[in-house]
Amino acid sequence: MGRRAADIARAILPIAATAAVLAVLPQVWFADSTYTTGLVVDALFLAAYGVGFNLIFGSTNQLFLCVGALASVGGYSAAILADKQSVPIIGGVAAGTAIAAAVGGILSWVAVRRSLTVIFTGIVTLVFSLAFENLVLGKRDLTNGDTGLIVTGAATRLADTRLGGYYLFAAVVVAFLIVFRALQLSHVGWAFRSLRDDELAAELAGVAVARYRIYAAVVGSAMIGLTGALYAYSDGFITPATYAFDQIDVPVLVLVAFGGLGTLLGPVIGATVFGFVDHALTTRGQLREALYGAFIIVIFLGFRQGVIPTATALARRLGRRRRSRTPVAPPQPD
Amino acid sequence: MKAVILDGILLGLAFGLLGVGLTLVYGLGGVLNLAHGAFVVVAAMVTSHFISAGQPTALAAAIGVLAGAGAGVAVDLTLMQPVYRQRGEHRTLLGLLLTLGLAFVIEGLLNWRNPSGALYIDVSGNPVHILGVAESAGSLWASAIALATGAVLVAFLAGTTFGRAVRSVIQDETGARLIGISPARVRTVIFALSGGLAGLVAITRAMTAPVTINVGFDLTIFALIVAVVGGLGSVGGAFLAGILLGIVNTVSAYYIGQYITTIVLLGAAALTILIRPRGLLGR
Amino acid sequence: MRGLAAGYFGKQVVHGIDFDVRTGEAVAIIGSNGAGKTTLFRAVAGLLTPMQGRVTLGGKDMTRRPAHRVARAGVAYVPAERHLFPGMTVKTNLVLGAYPHRPDHETLELVLELFAPLKARIHRRAETLSGGEQQMLAVGRALMSKPQLLMLDEPTTGLAPKLAKAAFVALDGLKQKGMTLLVAEQQVPLALSVADRGYVLENGRIRLQGTPAELEQNPEVRRAYLGVA
Repeated sequence: MGRRAADIARAILPIAATAAVLAVLPQVWFADSTYTTGLVVDALFLAAYGVGFNLIFGSTNQLFLCVGALASVGGYSAAILADKQSVPIIGGVAAGTAIAAAVGGILSWVAVRRSLTVIFTGIVTLVFSLAFENLVLGKRDLTNGDTGLIVTGAATRLADTRLGGYYLFAAVVVAFLIVFRALQLSHVGWAFRSLRDDELAAELAGVAVARYRIYAAVVGSAMIGLTGALYAYSDGFITPATYAFDQIDVPVLVLVAFGGLGTLLGPVIGATVFGFVDHALTTRGQLREALYGAFIIVIFLGFRQGVIPTATALARRLGRRRRSRTPVAPPQPD
Repeated sequence: MKAVILDGILLGLAFGLLGVGLTLVYGLGGVLNLAHGAFVVVAAMVTSHFISAGQPTALAAAIGVLAGAGAGVAVDLTLMQPVYRQRGEHRTLLGLLLTLGLAFVIEGLLNWRNPSGALYIDVSGNPVHILGVAESAGSLWASAIALATGAVLVAFLAGTTFGRAVRSVIQDETGARLIGISPARVRTVIFALSGGLAGLVAITRAMTAPVTINVGFDLTIFALIVAVVGGLGSVGGAFLAGILLGIVNTVSAYYIGQYITTIVLLGAAALTILIRPRGLLGR
Repeated sequence: MRGLAAGYFGKQVVHGIDFDVRTGEAVAIIGSNGAGKTTLFRAVAGLLTPMQGRVTLGGKDMTRRPAHRVARAGVAYVPAERHLFPGMTVKTNLVLGAYPHRPDHETLELVLELFAPLKARIHRRAETLSGGEQQMLAVGRALMSKPQLLMLDEPTTGLAPKLAKAAFVALDGLKQKGMTLLVAEQQVPLALSVADRGYVLENGRIRLQGTPAELEQNPEVRRAYLGVA
């Protein structure tokens, strides 16, 4: 019984801890400052996108360079439905999520059917990203192009203090983490790990690699689409630039890789650090882009594995060293 | 219609020149250089600087091309070394990410120092008539240079000893090592060449429209499309793809619209990967 | 007198091997799959850095040299996978073999005489050749550099018995002309037919060594490799 409890505890603890921290954070830190709240909400967004991306790339090695596009699918679907069809918020968000999930699933299906390598998957999804952005820009009658679309039905109160938005997105992130964890611990997660380690071996062992890839893509894309749709409602106004490649894909890629690809809390840690770095960079003004690029280079040169695996490995090594110093006592008779 | 197609061919030659640098570097080392557009911008800014300093255009252009080549060498010898130590997919991924960061660094620095920098080369001359279509002197010069460069490259790769060595590394790196070719040395030379080609792109493009810092990313994307459609690693493929896509571009832009055109071009790249991954002339 | 000596612990695959090849000799390395022959060859050729030990060629230390430097020092290695240049013609593959020098037309003629099928297909792309022809091309390419030492890993892989025999006849011819050979081969009788000396490799160690006559007499060799009870 003790072993089982320990397992459950280990499974839930990181998420519970994160939830607890997020719950008290406003009181402790920033409730008075709309600006800071806004920053934290932005970080939460990236974390949410990150969990979805982590599921797709970290778990099943599909380089989906279309996070922004999927978010855009979710956001614009919801916004257009609200605008043209006066669909209520729940419906809009649900539709956005579903459509994004479908698009992600299709992309994955195509990649699987054509046995695309990681790089070609990346290029195809990148092409999709850019093409979709152009589509949104071009179809002015539907999307208002680069002028932007006002999301009718958005809760204006959320936009004002952003605290409501904070709690909403904190809950979303925690929910995503729970889903991610549940998948990790289930047979699905086992399948993911085996196909990431050695695809051929997994295939031979009977793992339906294709199906699990698509499955991961659908769930991850749903997360991304949901986040994008929620953003549209919380902010009240979206343009193609909101979901642009350099606004979403690049930061998400960097923060997930930084935190640790495939780990549970990687996106959260990455988003936190990224939030601070981003804020620090804003004050640098002109040099921002250059420092940003330098940050990317340094991370991928140095932190190849990511923070969490590096920290875990370090901890393990320290633990081993300490243990070896403890003298081994001969077994005592009871 | 004839004018549109001719425009397309001229544009296509420029596309080819743009894609050829990217395709060579990928073919040789498996590195997708997302900073290719940034190299173009660097060369443009260097040239622009020397022109403003009073140097003759031709000299400034030459210096710009050399600057591009120099950037290529510098990047290969530094940033790319950890990338080359990886193999296969890891190498491509790391290369992609590091060059992405590099692109941000280069464009960020240039924007910081010289936000409104632009290069424009005025090729004066009356419009020339080809096959009954009037084309500006600038675009004709640009396309002529692109065509000549392409021819030289193809001849170089097919005819010279070093050119054959380059092809051998592209086709079988281990085999090349076994006959005494150092892949590292070849990669450095080709990266330099790629940078020089980027410089040429800056010069030729500036003959038709100003080159600003912000076009870097777009140029990289176009280069990627051309390289993918032509076949990663194939010089001839890059030019062939360039011309085809150039024609598609002008025809589509003329008859349909700008946004759709971009989508069509992007779609061409996606379609190539899905239907014929080795591209037009690739292996 | 230029000879090759190697004492060497490999990637935990090969352990403590000491062997040498003298000029003009043909040495055969015999062993079944997984015995470590390829690992050994890759180490000698510079594709692999030995964990311990040294590789010397004519007194010069080659241990840490990368493959292309080893090749330029006069070692031509024909691996089992051949590593030809598939999109290039037979002629270009051969011409490249002489890199960085210009191809010596005399040598090219000799190679084409030696391997008649290559002459017939001289402008065909390497990927269109049959297995046996590709093997010939690989050896021919290696010969174009006029090497001091020719290393062949499993040259008869994928070859029909008649072609395999012809291959070793050709190798014998090369040896008669003074070429130094190091051949790894599973087909023991063929290997011993051309060799002056042989080493038997098992589980990464040298089990036996001696002249072909000695090895053929050895009961273990007879049982394991010659199919004799």
